[in-house]
Amino acid sequence: MIETFLLLMGSFIMVAGAVGVLRFPDVYTRLHASTKCDTGGAMSILLGAALQIDMPVHVRLKLIILVFLIALINPMVSHAIARGAHRGGVKPDVTFDMYERDSD
Amino acid sequence: MVETDFLVSYLLRPLGLTIAVLAVTSLLLLYRVVRGPTLADRMVGLNTITTKMVVLIALLAVLSQQYFMVDVAVVFLMVNAVGGLILAKHYEKGDKT
Repeated sequence: MIETFLLLMGSFIMVAGAVGVLRFPDVYTRLHASTKCDTGGAMSILLGAALQIDMPVHVRLKLIILVFLIALINPMVSHAIARGAHRGGVKPDVTFDMYERDSD
Repeated sequence: MVETDFLVSYLLRPLGLTIAVLAVTSLLLLYRVVRGPTLADRMVGLNTITTKMVVLIALLAVLSQQYFMVDVAVVFLMVNAVGGLILAKHYEKGDKT
């Protein structure tokens, strides 16, 4: 029961993240939607897959290791992309860029 | 008709429905990879698509009961992390190609 709820919630987060990446106006807002969809959606879907019935224990442990690695790696890559885009000259679509003021 | 009934019986289970949602959203995100205005947009789309593919490989391994494919998903996630970091560092140096 709870694995079905986790799978459906992850599917909804995936759809919301895809719509956000398609419709948002800026690199950083798209990255915001993409990070939410990647981390939360993938973690809940993999936890729902790890709670399925009729599966050996070591496969569940491998899926939980995959959840841990996604929680570790995905925000790191998103942070690196945002930092690289800001230093590479992509301006955010705002009236005042506070990150540029703080990093002087 | 038999193949269609087989497909519908998989889509009505939550695992098959999640696999279908992952495939359709990856195809939607391909628009951002092709039509991104800058390279950073393409990197965002590619990072999202590769994470979705990791989850898809793990779900297909659970669904088809071939559990060695979970190891393939772990290795693919690590390769994705290294590739994303290298692309971001390359973009930080200022090469816009």
